[in-house]
Amino acid sequence: MLKRKLLAITIAATLCATSQAAVDINGFASIKGGMALSNDDELYGYDNDFSFKNESLAALQVKSDLGDKLSVTAQLLGRGADDWDVKFEWAFLSYDLTDTLRVNAGRLRTPFYKYSDFRDVGYAYDWSRVPQSVYGLGFDNIEGASLYHTTTLGNFDSSLQFIVGSYDGDAAIGSSAADAQIENITGVAWELGQDGYSFRVAYLTGKTTFYVDQLDSSAGLYAQLTAFGLGTLAKDLDIVDESSSFAGIGFNIDKNDWLLVSEITKATVDDSFISDQESYYISIGHRFDSITPYVSFEKEDNKAKTEIYAGVPTASPIFTPVAGLVNSLETERNSINVGVRYDFHPSAAFKAQYTNADNKTADRKDSVLVVGVDLVF
Amino acid sequence: MLKKLIFIPALTLSFMAFANVAVIVHPSNAVTLSQDDINKIFTGRAKSFSDGKAAEPMNLAEAVAVRADFDQKALGRSSSQMKAYWSKLIFTGKGTPPKELASEQEVLDAVAKNPAAIGYVSAGAVTGSVKVALTLN
Repeated sequence: MLKRKLLAITIAATLCATSQAAVDINGFASIKGGMALSNDDELYGYDNDFSFKNESLAALQVKSDLGDKLSVTAQLLGRGADDWDVKFEWAFLSYDLTDTLRVNAGRLRTPFYKYSDFRDVGYAYDWSRVPQSVYGLGFDNIEGASLYHTTTLGNFDSSLQFIVGSYDGDAAIGSSAADAQIENITGVAWELGQDGYSFRVAYLTGKTTFYVDQLDSSAGLYAQLTAFGLGTLAKDLDIVDESSSFAGIGFNIDKNDWLLVSEITKATVDDSFISDQESYYISIGHRFDSITPYVSFEKEDNKAKTEIYAGVPTASPIFTPVAGLVNSLETERNSINVGVRYDFHPSAAFKAQYTNADNKTADRKDSVLVVGVDLVF
Repeated sequence: MLKKLIFIPALTLSFMAFANVAVIVHPSNAVTLSQDDINKIFTGRAKSFSDGKAAEPMNLAEAVAVRADFDQKALGRSSSQMKAYWSKLIFTGKGTPPKELASEQEVLDAVAKNPAAIGYVSAGAVTGSVKVALTLN
C-alpha cells in the first residue's frame, strides 16, 4: 500500500555501508486539469485555456531510519507550474528525545495552517485545493528546527509544536510575489482532538524584509521620497526588518459522516505598506461511502493602510504614487466552492471542484473548474 | 447434495464480511485492552500498552478481507479514510503506519514470536500460540 519497504541491506551491499537502516519510500501525485469558465476570467493560475500543468504535481519522499531514534526525511517535489523542475520541498533529520517528544531540524514546513503540513498531498483532504483566501502567504517552508510533542490530556490528544527558523525566498505581497527575507521566526501551534472533534491555534512572529526594485532601488520610490524630505513617509512604507505576526485558529468536526472545518487567520507586517490580512473559510461536507460532496465559503479582507498617506495633500506630486501603492493592497474577495471527492480506488481519489471568486475591490468575478485525480503510493 | 453443502459455506462466507475480529497478543502479555487502547495503538497515538511496555502493532494488507472489518470496528473508519489519515502523518514526518503483513498466518507467527506485538485475525483463525486480548463483534 502506502509504502515500499526496501531493506537497506540491498543498498548496503552496493554501497558497502555497514548500517542496516530501513528506507521507506512513499510518494504522492495530483494530476489535475482545469480552466476558467469565461473568456476574461483568471483564477489560481488558470485562464480560458484548459491546463493540465497548472496544479499538477508529483513527489517522492524518502525516509531512512538510522536507528537509535534518529531518522532523516527528504521530499522531492515537482510542480507542473514550475515545468516539473524537481526541488527539495523539505529535508530534515528527526531525533526522538522520548516517545512523545521529537526534534526536527532542516528545511521544514511552517505550521501556519491546519493543512500546512500536507497541503500538497491532495489525497489527505477532500477539496481540490486548500482554500486560497486563507492559504495565501506565498511561502510554506522555512529553514530551522521544531520541537514536536504529542500526548493525551484526559480524553484529548494533544500535539504541540514549537518552531524557530528563517526564510529567504519569494513571498506574496497582495497578489504578486516578491523577494523576501523573514528572520527570527518563532512560533507555536497546538492542536487538541477527541473522537472526531479537533481544535487548533497557531501563532508565529518574525522580522520581515521585502525587496521590490521599483521601490527599494536607488532610483525607487523610497529614495525619491527621501530626496523630497519625506524620509519618515518612506520609512512608514518600506518593509525593512518589520515586526510581523501570524495568528490562526481553526476547528474540525468529523461526526456521523458530516464534515465541518473552518479556519480564521490574521497576518500583519507592522510599519509597512502591507495591509493587515484577515481571512477565513468554512467548509461542510457529507460522506456517502466513497462519495463526499462539499461546499465551502472563503473570505479575504485586506484593508489598505490609508492612514499612512492621510497627511499628504492630494495636490502633492507624490500623492498619486504613494496612495496607489498603499491602495493596491486593498482586497475584499468572497469565494464559493462546490465540489466532490470520489474514492474510486484504494489509493486514488477523483475530485472535481467549481470555484467562483467575487473580488469586490476589483469589481470582477472569476470562476474556474478543475477535475483530477489525487493518489498516494 | 454434496454440492449444496459446499455452496452453503461459500454463501455464508460471502456474508461473513462481518466476521468477528480477534485482537491478539503474545501469550506472555497480561495487559487488558479496550477498543480505545487498540484504536490508539493502531493509529500511532499510543506507542505502549497500559503497563508501559512498548507495543508493536501488526496490520494486515488491504487485500485481506478482515482488514476492512478491523478498520471499521476497531478504528471506526473505512480503509481509505485510514489511508488518508496515514498519508497526513507520513508526508509530514510525524508518524509511520504499522507494519503490514500479507496474511493472517504471518500475523499469527509474528505475534507468537514477539512479546511486544499486537495484531488481529478473524476469530476463527486464532491458534493456541497467541492470546486473544479482545474480540470485536
